[in-house]
Amino acid sequence: MKSNKPFWILGLIGILAVVMVPTIIFWPKTASATSDPWSQMPTHPIHVDHKDIIKGPFATPQDVTKACLECHPDAAKDIMMTSHWTWESQPVSIPWRNGEEVTIGKLNQINNFCISAQGNQKSCMNCHIGYGWQEGDEAANLQNPENVDCLMCHAISGYAKGSYGNPADTVDLAAAAKTVAIPGRAQCGKCHFDGGGGNGVKHGDLDESLIYPSENLDVHMGRYNFICTDCHVTEKHVVKGRLLADNYTINPSEQVSCTQCHAETPHEDERLNFHTQSVACQTCHVPAMALEDPTKVSWDWSTSGKDIGDDHFTYLKIKGNFVYEKNVQPTYMWFNGSNEYRYLLGDKIDPSQITYINKPAGSIEDKTAKIFPFKMHLANQPYDTGMNYLLAPITSGPGGYWATFDWNDAFTKAQERMGLAYSGNYGFTQTYMLWPTTHMVQPKEDALQCSVCHGENGRMDWKALGYPGDPMTWGGRFSKK
Amino acid sequence: MKTTKFFLIVLATLLIGLAAAWGINQALARGNSAPAATVSPIHPTFALRDESGENVLVSAKPISTMKTCGKCHDAEFIASHSFHADLGLSSYGQGGSNAWDTSNGLFGKFDPLTGRYLSQVGDERIDLTTAEWLKLYGWRVPGGGPSLTSRQGKPLASLNPSASDPETSILNPLTGNTQAWDWAQSGVMEMDCFLCHFTTPNNTARTAEIQSGQFAWANTATLEGTGIVTKSGNSYSFNTSAFDESGNLKPEFILVQDPANANCAQCHGTVHTDPANPLTVTACDTTQPQTAATGQLIAPERISESGLNISGKANLGRSWDIHAERELKCTDCHYALNNPAHYQEALENKPAHLTYDPRRLDIGEYLTTPDHNFARGQSAQFTVAPELKGTMRRCDSCHNAQTAHTDWLPYTERHMAVLACETCHIPQLYAPAIESYDWTVIKTDGSAQTACRGIEGQSTITNLVTGYKPVLMQRKNIDGKTLLAPYNLVTTWFWIYDDAKGNTRPVRQVDLQAAYLENGQYNAGILATFDADKNGQLSDTELVIDTAAKQDAVTAKLTALGLKNPRIYGQVQPYSINHNVTRGEWVVSDCETCHTASSRVSAPIQLAANIPGGVLPEFVKDSNVAGSGQLVKNADGSLSYQPMPANDNIYVFGQTRINWIDWLGALAFVGTILGVGTHGTLRYIAALRHPKHAVKTQKVQMYDAYERFWHWLQTISIVLLLFTGLVIHRPDIFGVFSFRYIVTFHNVLAAILVINAALSLFWHMVSGQIRQYIPRPRGFFDDAIVQAKFYIDGIFKHQPHPFEKTKDSKLNPLQQATYFGLLNVLLPLQIVTGALMWGVQKVPAITNLLGGLPVLAPFHSLVAWLFGAFIVAHVYLTTTGATPLEAMRGMVTGWEELEVHGKE
Repeated sequence: MKSNKPFWILGLIGILAVVMVPTIIFWPKTASATSDPWSQMPTHPIHVDHKDIIKGPFATPQDVTKACLECHPDAAKDIMMTSHWTWESQPVSIPWRNGEEVTIGKLNQINNFCISAQGNQKSCMNCHIGYGWQEGDEAANLQNPENVDCLMCHAISGYAKGSYGNPADTVDLAAAAKTVAIPGRAQCGKCHFDGGGGNGVKHGDLDESLIYPSENLDVHMGRYNFICTDCHVTEKHVVKGRLLADNYTINPSEQVSCTQCHAETPHEDERLNFHTQSVACQTCHVPAMALEDPTKVSWDWSTSGKDIGDDHFTYLKIKGNFVYEKNVQPTYMWFNGSNEYRYLLGDKIDPSQITYINKPAGSIEDKTAKIFPFKMHLANQPYDTGMNYLLAPITSGPGGYWATFDWNDAFTKAQERMGLAYSGNYGFTQTYMLWPTTHMVQPKEDALQCSVCHGENGRMDWKALGYPGDPMTWGGRFSKK
Repeated sequence: MKTTKFFLIVLATLLIGLAAAWGINQALARGNSAPAATVSPIHPTFALRDESGENVLVSAKPISTMKTCGKCHDAEFIASHSFHADLGLSSYGQGGSNAWDTSNGLFGKFDPLTGRYLSQVGDERIDLTTAEWLKLYGWRVPGGGPSLTSRQGKPLASLNPSASDPETSILNPLTGNTQAWDWAQSGVMEMDCFLCHFTTPNNTARTAEIQSGQFAWANTATLEGTGIVTKSGNSYSFNTSAFDESGNLKPEFILVQDPANANCAQCHGTVHTDPANPLTVTACDTTQPQTAATGQLIAPERISESGLNISGKANLGRSWDIHAERELKCTDCHYALNNPAHYQEALENKPAHLTYDPRRLDIGEYLTTPDHNFARGQSAQFTVAPELKGTMRRCDSCHNAQTAHTDWLPYTERHMAVLACETCHIPQLYAPAIESYDWTVIKTDGSAQTACRGIEGQSTITNLVTGYKPVLMQRKNIDGKTLLAPYNLVTTWFWIYDDAKGNTRPVRQVDLQAAYLENGQYNAGILATFDADKNGQLSDTELVIDTAAKQDAVTAKLTALGLKNPRIYGQVQPYSINHNVTRGEWVVSDCETCHTASSRVSAPIQLAANIPGGVLPEFVKDSNVAGSGQLVKNADGSLSYQPMPANDNIYVFGQTRINWIDWLGALAFVGTILGVGTHGTLRYIAALRHPKHAVKTQKVQMYDAYERFWHWLQTISIVLLLFTGLVIHRPDIFGVFSFRYIVTFHNVLAAILVINAALSLFWHMVSGQIRQYIPRPRGFFDDAIVQAKFYIDGIFKHQPHPFEKTKDSKLNPLQQATYFGLLNVLLPLQIVTGALMWGVQKVPAITNLLGGLPVLAPFHSLVAWLFGAFIVAHVYLTTTGATPLEAMRGMVTGWEELEVHGKE
């Protein structure tokens, strides 16, 4: 009889099981649980205030680096292997040069903004994370760990670059060093927002408005206060993400993508999820760039050198004419993540055609390619009419074009310093660069709607993308015919 | 093969062209900027011809569309197969909801918003003659039908002008008399192909011609602005530069297209596509009829991006209309009925084994003779073209509602069977809509007192636009089924009178003006009665018939004008709402919206802020909804319509209450509690007075393990069923519980209960224990009386139980009787009513055979109350054992201390 006690408890459990099990089985399903993007967010190290750790004063910037390396012994070694330091990509075999292995970067190649960093170290080293790189001394300079400029990324205040990558004379090194922390948007933005010679010049989707972004400017940085390294996940100073302009091919594993955190088909609406086979997230979620600060969409070097009055947004004597635009609608192209072509110094051009400095790879036939938004920058830049290749003038520094306004002299100096042969005759030719538009992401309420692309008011040029017509009516590339 | 390819290319070009034409026109049609015309990539050039077929370049006469387009297209067929042309002419004389209605269409059916009606031959007073009707409505009359042909079927131009015939005369507002109208001189209006098929029709110029009575030039005027014609004096000249040397239009002037949304919008309501130019509308603007009457407007734009000052706009990330957002156009659903691309055969017209009949018109045949009767639904503009009702694709022609709902919507089939898709998918209209028109008074500018719902004020830009929730009405479909569907109700009041022949007619506006006004101002008599603040002006609050004095004053004025028996009449016109559909999170998808006391299903809608003359309006008779609810006069003087789902035999869980059932049930339940409470108290007092002397007890194994298992399983099931049932019945009280999960839980519990009951019945039968439950017929009543006496007397005196409880005879006679009723009546009833209520989704026929939910559900509630009462009594009676908790312990452990009954 006494043994009945556990028995009735067992019975109670049995009865509850009989009630619970079918209930759980038949419990109505809630709307399909989407993956939780937050679970993929990297955690950042807890901030250690260095105010009392850093002992100044420092006589040279290299002394600061030495002090850093005392506690962070691997930091310089790690970062010196990254392209932030080397300013070049890994060597890559170039098909249009019979498989020649070349590297691509600011170290050795040109763009269609300020054209060349090479030979212009005085100004351009503002954005190199090292000290004292002068023309011709990269071999020695880049080998020395003490030249790593920790402060440039880690000093939250009181730091600025002067010439040849050295700190500006006004900088109090010890004071700046005491502020070190994990880099925020402003630190990364110093170079990435101001690339090309000023705020918003290059990218269109990256400019100083993102330092204190409003919610409407970028959902990640504005609404949720993301910093760059939340997506550009960083380990041992290797920052995830590759710049399309300075690479030929990019391994997807090295690139930042929306799907790091978001599902491949994250929409509640099936019709939208079908789109993700052929349309990049950015295409709908970055409807326009340069939302607050304008970006440069074209640049004509040929008109430079005139004393017609400077205006930051239209004409500078040293740079020529340019056009800035705000709220720019991207150019849409198929894109598989790599370039189809990247202009290399010495590549012959057809001056009657517009030369692509970089041309994104992908086509409607490429199943891995998606329609992707780009900022297209059109330049009119100098080329050698004898050699039929693009020229890289010496602009900054004493005797540079910005002092002499003598193109011939700038190209002759370049021949001396960079070894780029100059025939003595130059002209101007048009070039394109394409920059992926991937920041200034908008939430669903502000993403593109159907009719923005579809219907004949749509912004897509379906024929140019390779479709017979609007895929809404003609079917997409994965539709069964 | 080659021809197929060629055909496809041609078709593709055609489609692209049409889409291009539509898209671009869309963008430009409604903006203030000059519209840009799109040249048709496929339509051949043609000559513009006059009514004799001669090129207008030669004759300089108005364009005849019938001759121009009829050169290639079967214009005769088109004009005769179009309710847009007919507008009720073919049903003239059939009458309608009102005594003065003469047809089912715009030509003859009274429109209380304009307050004008088409006069018939023999009317004592003439309001709209045919010519004046055309002038008034011409802006939305595409021509043909009554603008071409008389009510007797003769060409209007062949009629002799006569001041006494409403077809050949017009009212002179100065004299109040009719004068002859010469159709041969004014010309007539052929169906205007350009209005719907040109990318840039000029309806403004066309309307100007119509209003000036120059009907012949109306269609030509439609082309003004295209560069083809130029107005010169009273006629139009043709620009030779638009024509080639053979007299055909140059290709760049061929602006022909498939009708775009903007073409439809000219007459039907607001369409907006230009993303650069945020949408704005004028509240309740009757030049946008469907937008004014319902608040529906067609735009892909997100509401948050529109230019309207909408309440909570920033969070309204939905588009105005999902179908517009997804690039559908009007003609995708309202297609020409013989369009081979869209046409679908009615189910009843095709053999059961055939799902698709490929024998269709080829495209050439279709382009020659396109049927201009367009597919239509069955609610909007209810009376028009009844033979075409339901020809349109319905939601379920394109959407598979089952797959979209079954994974989350409980009772999907049931919801689909009683709700129109629009009910949940158009939960709210965001633009204002007309609420009421009061023509019992008139403003000095000749307009009525009007009220607009969904806006606080008049301007959609500076006043707050709140939008409104449509009222849900029972819509009777053509297949005889009834669905709950959203409507706007527009209420109008106006004066009617009896003429000398005893016919009832609305009081004409000229007469109303004569009664109220003198030289454009209110006359002295009206001012004396209406002008409360004596400032010589009538404010909106003064200009309303809210006293008998005012009503008498106007009645006297009208009577003085010779109108017999003038009286106020009010009517409610339901306007069905089918556009502005939304999806996803914007849709009604939480059960509590409807399944609660303040249910959406019974949410009232205001009809008017006041009731002119205290006259309650009637629902129009010719609509597919019945006003089965109540008209409610509110304390503030306003009038509302309160839907009464119960009147329509609708039972909505959580909303519907049969009060007497709940009262009765509650009474039984509370009565039982009071009864056992009293009994228990008395027992307690008795026990205090006469402490119980020790009784000899012995421990007996009373219940087997299985008995205890089924008993407690049943206990838990029933208690939880009662509780979940209560939540379903009164979800407003138990807001913390999700209705949806509770319903599922209730159903699962019910299944457990039924299975448990069946298994235990089987066990009782096999083990023979069932005999315990069967009262012995012999001596049962005597025994029952003995047991009853014990409960009312012996128990207080610690007398032993009259019947010994043993393992084989657990139940006393009263228990036997109770269980007999419980198990044979209440439980089966509850199971059957519950199962049928569940079965309403699977086998509605059986459920409906037994009265449907309105009968079953209250019954189920009542029985549930009785079960509740039983449990109270049952639990109480377990305390009558050897000790109060002994019986309970017995049921838990199986062993019970029982009093030993001596036979001393």
